[in-house]
Amino acid sequence: MNKTLKISFALKNTYRVNSILYALKQTLLIKMILPSALYGVKGLKIFANILSVIWEVISFFLGKLIYLGCIYFIIADGYNGFFPRRELFLHMLLFLTIIGAFLNTNLFNPSKEKYYAVFLMRMDAKQYVLVNYGYAVLKVIIGFLLIMLMMRSLLDLPVWLCVMLPFSIAGLKLFVAATSLWDYEKRGFSYNENKLGKFLWAFVALMIILAGGLPAVGLAVPQIVSTSLFIAFVPLGLIGVLKVIRFNEYKAVFKDLFAQTQPFEDKKTQALRKQSEKYISADTSITSNRKGFEYLNELFIKRHKNILWSASKNIAYACVVLSVGMIIASYLFPEIKENVNHLILNWLPYFVFIMYIINRGTGFTQALFINCDHSLLTYPFYKQPGMILKLFAVRLREIMKINALPAAVIGTGMSLLLFVTGGTDNVLNYAVIIVSILCMSAFFSVHYLTIYYLMQPYNAASEIKSGTYQLVKVATYLVCYYMIQVRMPTIVFGTLTIVFCILYCIVACVLVYRLAPKTFRLRQ
Amino acid sequence: MKFTIEHLAKGFEQKEVLKDIDFTFEDGKIYGLLGRNGAGKTTLFNCLNRDIKADRGNFYIEENGQRRKVKADDIGYVLSTPTVPEFLTGREFLKFFIDINESAITDKKSIDEYFDYMSIAPKDRDKLLKDYSHGMKNKMQMLVNVIAKPNILLLDEPLTSLDVVVAEEMKQMLRTLKDDCIIIFSTHILDLALDLCDDIVLLSHGELELVEKVNLDNKDFKDKIIETLREDGNE
Repeated sequence: MNKTLKISFALKNTYRVNSILYALKQTLLIKMILPSALYGVKGLKIFANILSVIWEVISFFLGKLIYLGCIYFIIADGYNGFFPRRELFLHMLLFLTIIGAFLNTNLFNPSKEKYYAVFLMRMDAKQYVLVNYGYAVLKVIIGFLLIMLMMRSLLDLPVWLCVMLPFSIAGLKLFVAATSLWDYEKRGFSYNENKLGKFLWAFVALMIILAGGLPAVGLAVPQIVSTSLFIAFVPLGLIGVLKVIRFNEYKAVFKDLFAQTQPFEDKKTQALRKQSEKYISADTSITSNRKGFEYLNELFIKRHKNILWSASKNIAYACVVLSVGMIIASYLFPEIKENVNHLILNWLPYFVFIMYIINRGTGFTQALFINCDHSLLTYPFYKQPGMILKLFAVRLREIMKINALPAAVIGTGMSLLLFVTGGTDNVLNYAVIIVSILCMSAFFSVHYLTIYYLMQPYNAASEIKSGTYQLVKVATYLVCYYMIQVRMPTIVFGTLTIVFCILYCIVACVLVYRLAPKTFRLRQ
Repeated sequence: MKFTIEHLAKGFEQKEVLKDIDFTFEDGKIYGLLGRNGAGKTTLFNCLNRDIKADRGNFYIEENGQRRKVKADDIGYVLSTPTVPEFLTGREFLKFFIDINESAITDKKSIDEYFDYMSIAPKDRDKLLKDYSHGMKNKMQMLVNVIAKPNILLLDEPLTSLDVVVAEEMKQMLRTLKDDCIIIFSTHILDLALDLCDDIVLLSHGELELVEKVNLDNKDFKDKIIETLREDGNE
């Protein structure tokens, strides 16, 4: 048992250390100074080991802190005043604990470590479970115990409850695990926490609604009931412990678990490719009368209509409904007019984030790569500079069209809304709103296609292999998110946006024309 | 026509995979490229196909005593795992390819003639490529690479996963193609190389080396090749 403990921890640690080193190696600047045989360099290894240990210690508490912190903020902010805080906390915790017992089991998670240990290294499955699952349960208890004691006064909990609740949470997890094991004995089918059936999803949704929705309508599980249930979870946990210890078929359970889901990236990308292939329309009536790249592009767009256009159309419909709804509302409740008018004239920066969320750039480039460029980039004719640029122009036009539809609807809707809520002194505002939102959509179209052409982040196995590409994506997100905070008169921000977008598009296109013939290659 | 590689080198970080590739290939021949795992065969092909940039050296084509740079359409590259655009039908892929390469194709035939040439059945011609079998995808890949008659055809283990009938068809086709082009055929199967290729070239120690067959029977020739490759691995 001791040996199992040591080996499985060493395995997990090695795996984590190498992941840290790999991540370091992927980062642009650090990549240059690291040696190629970095996995054998002692100093680096020690450094990564320290990080790994720190992470293990943090993982004891961090998740629980965030979890309880979130509950605290919801009850402190959202429903404050309706219920005693303790009652509300126990109400939420009860339903969330039930969800967690099903969704966060550890035992039924098809993780890589499990696969490596039990199947590749042929460790004894039962010993592996007893050690690792035991450790995971211990982590739950210790982590919650500490955090709950820390947050005791915030949550208004007596000490005895703070001590008991961690055991209740772990208890219910163990009991659910035990019932899944019983179920396996009965039906020969392993529960998989990453692959829930329809009923379980419905059940989870119901629990979420009960957790958050009941208090919103003024109801909560009485404290005496929730406390009694939590007390009952403790002996249920003991039953669970007995079952987990007595059960002997773990290897078979895992075999079934891994037959259902693949823990490995290459298998996942295979699945992604399968999925992408499914998006190709089998409609044989689709044809094209064009020639060359226009022919290729038209067939691509037509055969991928579902993934490319349907989301964009749905968003456009939703925006039509929303705009009309707002216009009607402002007639029904004239008192909101002033507020809405003020919002439209000052909140344009917010729309950068909204346009970021609804743009189809990444979906478009992913489909382009997996279903088209992935194969054609292996042919020399496809990589000739003239051809690359011709196709870039054709594609840019398409993605701009796809993104422009919802943008046009949003822009028009906002201008109309501005008009019916009292209008503006400066007529230019109407035009600026429409044009700047269209510009934002054009910006995102150009942006995603440009970074795709300049960094071509995929390798032949369709995995994203460029750290820089990921960084640019995160930076894009952060900038757009930051825009939420910005308040500026629409006319000023709109004009700035238009100027920026036009400049950006020009620069991006020049860069693509200069560099793409060299950068648009399959990553090796 | 000759295809000459001069002092080509390519390394990855500290490891120099191709050290000094210096070799001249001639048309009318199929060259069998042999090397141990990790010897750099695919790296060499990727350099020649300009998928990766070589660190040093260059390569050019010599026609009628005139040297010139290798253009993208001089090279056809067939990979072991066939890659074809899944969302097109076989016919559409061919049409697209012919449209794009119109100027480079000298004796243009009809699309169905090309299909006949590759023995792709009429019922399969209008199917989406994603529904093609592995062998059929391979045929399509080979087909678009030979339509444009590239001067140099690089083949990376192209026959390994084909059934015997298709593999035989492909071999026949390569023999007919070699007259006006240089075929470099990378493989791990020694018997296949001996059966199909006119010359055997070894990639070892990061260099290319022709194995002379003079006066050797097949068995001795095989032993010589294996012995040379074994030395490479023992370093």
